[in-house]
Amino acid sequence: MNVQRLRFFVQLISFVLLVYGGSFAFDIGGKLPTFSCVFVDSKGGGCFLVSLQHQLARPIWAFLGGAGLMLLTTLGTVALFAIVLNKAWCGWVCPFGFLQDLMTKLRNLFNIDLSRFSWITSKRYRSVKYIFLAFLVLVPLAIGNLGLSREWTAPFCQMCPARPLMPLLEGNFSEFFIDLSSIPGMILTTIAILLVGLFFTVSFIKRRFLCSYCPMLAFLSLFDKVGLLSLKKDGQRCTRCGNCYRACPMEIRAIEEEKVKKNLVTQDCILCLRCVESCPENGALDATFAGFSIFKASEEGFLKRQEKTIGESKRQ
Amino acid sequence: MNMQEQIKPSKKERLANKVRVHLDMTVREIFDGLEEDRTRPEHMAYFDRIFKAFIHGGKDVVQTQKGQQMVGTYCVFVPEELIYACGARPVRLCAGAYESVEIGEDYLPDIACPAIKSEIGFSVLPILDFYQKCDLVALPASCDWKMKVGEMLEEHHDVHMLSLPRIKELETSRHFWLEEVKRFKQSLEKLTGVSINRKRLRDAIRRIQRAQIEVHRFQELRKHSPAVIHGRDALEVLNAYFYDEVEAWTEALATLNRELEARIANKQYVAKPNATRLMLTGSPMIFPNWKIPTIIEELGAVLVTDEFCTSGRYLSDMVSVDEGTLSDMLHAIADRYMLPCSCPTFTTTTERRDRVLQQAEDYQVEGVIYHVLKGCHPFDIEMKTIETALQDKGIPMLKIETDYAPQDIEQLRTRIEAFTETLKGRTKKA
Repeated sequence: MNVQRLRFFVQLISFVLLVYGGSFAFDIGGKLPTFSCVFVDSKGGGCFLVSLQHQLARPIWAFLGGAGLMLLTTLGTVALFAIVLNKAWCGWVCPFGFLQDLMTKLRNLFNIDLSRFSWITSKRYRSVKYIFLAFLVLVPLAIGNLGLSREWTAPFCQMCPARPLMPLLEGNFSEFFIDLSSIPGMILTTIAILLVGLFFTVSFIKRRFLCSYCPMLAFLSLFDKVGLLSLKKDGQRCTRCGNCYRACPMEIRAIEEEKVKKNLVTQDCILCLRCVESCPENGALDATFAGFSIFKASEEGFLKRQEKTIGESKRQ
Repeated sequence: MNMQEQIKPSKKERLANKVRVHLDMTVREIFDGLEEDRTRPEHMAYFDRIFKAFIHGGKDVVQTQKGQQMVGTYCVFVPEELIYACGARPVRLCAGAYESVEIGEDYLPDIACPAIKSEIGFSVLPILDFYQKCDLVALPASCDWKMKVGEMLEEHHDVHMLSLPRIKELETSRHFWLEEVKRFKQSLEKLTGVSINRKRLRDAIRRIQRAQIEVHRFQELRKHSPAVIHGRDALEVLNAYFYDEVEAWTEALATLNRELEARIANKQYVAKPNATRLMLTGSPMIFPNWKIPTIIEELGAVLVTDEFCTSGRYLSDMVSVDEGTLSDMLHAIADRYMLPCSCPTFTTTTERRDRVLQQAEDYQVEGVIYHVLKGCHPFDIEMKTIETALQDKGIPMLKIETDYAPQDIEQLRTRIEAFTETLKGRTKKA
């Protein structure tokens, strides 16, 4: 089984369903833990962050009643989704992540070398996603309780690069703007456009660059330990060859360094399973669902992947 | 110190002749003994031929094409992919001959390991042809002995020293090592006049990977119980890679693998089903220093696996190309030669400990013999950690400290025999 090909097709199908599904009456609701932008009219499912931000913009006491119930429904639905697929939402479903993977394919086509942040840099900026998560929770609460201007409504959506970018996919340029009508709007939409710029430029030197700072990843990583889909490591079988680290689009070092811990779904992991595919040690890495192994690292699998990158190397 | 003066030409010639005669005798003795063994696989003949060529100055050990540059390498850190990519031919010079140790003793302190003494011996005296013919010698500064030997070799060869970081977990070490690999690439390009491009490097990686696939298949066959090949023969096969051209060697090993598969199908084994399954680890064993494996198998035990940098471990980890650009491939090569390497010259023992434990598990090993060459401190230091880890798994370990000299063979035989006897006692009790 070629997992990366399978992943590509799953991503492609989710992309089509989530971005264009609406036009053929596909809709799985607006409570998905993935960047399927609600500003796309033909969407087949929407990112839950937008409802979350709206639902949080209420006075605290309101959460004791109906508003609280609505919030719980949202969070409950999302938690359920998150527990089943864990962060495969990022690696296998997210249409915005898929666009970044496509950019990587384009980069590979031009044979442009990959570059990595130094370890200290990538560590330093990893917490940015938690700042974004706190921002999109606290700002709506401040609107509801501290009288912060309504111009800050759904603050993350205003600064999210998916908002200007994804409607372009259906030929809609109306979200591609800098809002000059208010100060908050100006700040947030400028950030959005800058991030779009980074999306197009940094994609030519890095993989999944924006994902490291995504608040959705921060939110989903709350379910790392309980997710049914999981990534396990057998430390004794690991030779620390570093193949997994080199294959990892998120530049996660723990995948290579960890020798003791079993669960390897780390903060930044998007469960793309490239590490499992690049691991030559039988059973050192193992993707499991509800405890059952679904995809184990093997020498055979490793060689198959090598055949694809450097040509056949069959037994004589 | 000027070595040219130390040994005068005529004396040098005489000495070289003397060593050569002794080496010839050792080689003949080994193969006379082996020819009596009728259970050996037929295709061992190919590998025997390489080692038999060590007699008469070893003119046929390494066969190069006309005009092909020869690059001598030491240790497990010199990227052969780069050497093949520029059309040159790597030859690993790590040596195991007692006969040349004596010569090396003139240049090194007493406590230096016999391997380095033997290597120096072959380099300074014209004993073996291929040591003299190297156009470049690539020498990683892996242990203290290797570190200083480069300077001594410089009088005889062009030497490219590779500086090896010791703490491989660090980011700086990885950058540094990658730069060292690139510097070696430049050195090779200068030597051969060939510039290594993407296609050349990819082809070289593939060629070596093919050899490694056969090695893995071979190791898989060795897991069979009862054993289908002697451990000494396996050491020979893998040791022969030092001197042979990678494709020829791969083909020979593939043929041997097919023979072994057929032997398993015909239930034709080299050891009894109840033979004690032993594993060797520690300082490297290099031809003709096969005294311990020979003793083990003369005692009726079977050497099922070994963890030596001169044997399977050398060819076990593969280059993993990710995106396929030239810089990605260089990165992959640098990683392959340093990161999974379980050489005790690095600060951590974890990799080696786990490798030994995993191997002991995979090959159903009953006891481990830990080989320390006198003066090989890195392996000596790690001994305790490995012993404790094996003890926790209930696997007994015997430490043997020796050198290349044949004098202690009978003493070793007694110790190994006692060890296998206790192992047999254990299995009966269990």
